[in-house]
Amino acid sequence: MAARARGWLAGVVALLWMSQASQAQDPVEYTVKAAYLTKFVPFINWPDQALPPGAPVTICIVGEDPFGPALDKIAAAAGAGSRPLVIRRIATTDTAETQILARCQIAYAGDPLTSLDVIDALKGKPVVTVTDSGMRARGIISFVMRDNHVRFDIDDAAAERSGIHFSSKLLELARAVNRRSEGP
Amino acid sequence: MKRWVGWPMIVALVAAAFLLTAGIAIARYEDQLYTTQQIRDVTEQAQILAASVSAAVSFGDRGAAEEYVNALKVNPELRAAGVYDGSGKLFARFSRGSALPRAMTLVPAGWDPLTDAGTLTVKVPVAAGGKTIGAVAVIATTEPAQRRLARYIGLILLVTMGALVIAVLGFSQAAISNRAEQLARVNARLKQEMDERQKTEEALRQSHKMEAIGQLSGGIAHDFNNLIMIVKGSLGLLRKRLGPEILQPRAEQYLISADEALDRATALTQRILAFSRRQPLSARPVNLSLVVADMNALIKHSVGEEVKIETALASQWQTLCDVSQMENVILNLAINARDAMPDGGVLAIGTRDVSLASAPPSVAEFIPGDYIALSVRDTGVGMSGEVLQRAFDPFFTTKPLGKGTGLGLSMTFGYVRQSNGYLAIASIPHRGTTITIYMPRIPESET
Repeated sequence: MAARARGWLAGVVALLWMSQASQAQDPVEYTVKAAYLTKFVPFINWPDQALPPGAPVTICIVGEDPFGPALDKIAAAAGAGSRPLVIRRIATTDTAETQILARCQIAYAGDPLTSLDVIDALKGKPVVTVTDSGMRARGIISFVMRDNHVRFDIDDAAAERSGIHFSSKLLELARAVNRRSEGP
Repeated sequence: MKRWVGWPMIVALVAAAFLLTAGIAIARYEDQLYTTQQIRDVTEQAQILAASVSAAVSFGDRGAAEEYVNALKVNPELRAAGVYDGSGKLFARFSRGSALPRAMTLVPAGWDPLTDAGTLTVKVPVAAGGKTIGAVAVIATTEPAQRRLARYIGLILLVTMGALVIAVLGFSQAAISNRAEQLARVNARLKQEMDERQKTEEALRQSHKMEAIGQLSGGIAHDFNNLIMIVKGSLGLLRKRLGPEILQPRAEQYLISADEALDRATALTQRILAFSRRQPLSARPVNLSLVVADMNALIKHSVGEEVKIETALASQWQTLCDVSQMENVILNLAINARDAMPDGGVLAIGTRDVSLASAPPSVAEFIPGDYIALSVRDTGVGMSGEVLQRAFDPFFTTKPLGKGTGLGLSMTFGYVRQSNGYLAIASIPHRGTTITIYMPRIPESET
């Protein structure tokens, strides 16, 4: 999406906060990322077996949690619409946890090691893996930082393999998209 | 012209008024339709924009939102379009003259379309995941009401004028054809009157001719009669003077033949006098039906076996006439009829009472009133128009030389006119001739 390359991403909250806190990026950056995690939900379609209509959408934070209680607050506010949001925190990617992991709809992994495990564990499963910026391992959605703004890339090909469908509106906002194979 | 200013004009005006009313109603309906249609169109565009920008608003991507908003620029009707974020602040926009509010409150009451001074403002919410996360406002130009009105009025006037022109043409066409019809009727009547006039003039001329001939011949006959009397008297005196002894052996036969010639001359002058209406008549009231009835045997004897006689004697009225002369006339006409039917036929003699308001055919200078009509009809050879014209002329005859004197019909004519009656003649070649005598009725008080 060359056209999208010009665009820049910034939540209203992020804009407000960034004007004051320039260097101390972490709290603002992760507040924005937390908001994004919830905002992806209306633009993603999961298969019905994975997510029956009306069922709550589970967002899992695997390993280190960089968001803290802010995420719960944002999720509570965002979940007031048609679908409630549930935040689960999973410590490790042990075998026992893998079962739980597969029932998430969005799985965020913050550190490099967990990211690789999560991507491996959920390959082909209808779970949107989200990886943080500055890491080699890249999930279906990977945050990227550009000019101090939070943006994201989408691996639509991997999403296709997992049976997940992204709204074209969201695809248009992504900085880069790994296109899915052209269907017949 | 008068007719056409009357009811057709009223009909045309009523029709025009109806058209005008209908036009206004249609224009109003069209106008409402136009407004609702435009609101629907603009709302649709706003909804499309709202659906498109939901992600951009959600993730606060101003650039993406502006691209969507600018896509609406291709529609020249739109003056401005704006996207508002979740807090109601203007987030992305394009504007062509119309200003967008910098902020708006995202309340359901604000979603109604707003029409104001040539612009239409439509606001729709932007939703994502069942939540209202922002809004879209679109401002469109509406054609000003006055301009729309002017256009409709122009259209209505055009239609009405067109209808009026057609009506005028139609009615004038009807008026023209009406006039033509009237003209044709008048023309036909004129022609008929001209024909009648020609016939009347013909009859009058005939009457004048008979008058002139009658006067001339009557004068001559009168003088001749006097001369004949002198010659006759002189011959009588001569016979007395000479005595039988002188006359007997040598001159008696000369005197006799002279007397005979004088008798014939007297008869001739009598006939001429009858034609010129100078004969002495001893008129008395008679019923012509009775006169004809009395003559039945005589007529039968005169016309012979070949001719069948039919009589229809219906007249009851009385007329004043010289009976012996009338008998002569009837006999004369019967003989003429017989001569016209050498191979036999029907001779019909009839009398009837008629009240005439106008002259019968071929009669001139007629006085309307009650008449007894005596008609003598034959089924003979008839007369051509030329012969008919001269039928009453004295000494005119179609009979072989020596057979007719040419005085029969002229005598009849003279006698009838002298008795204040009229003579009418009608004839069709090879079909027959009808001669009708109209004798004036004597008022009851005079009988």
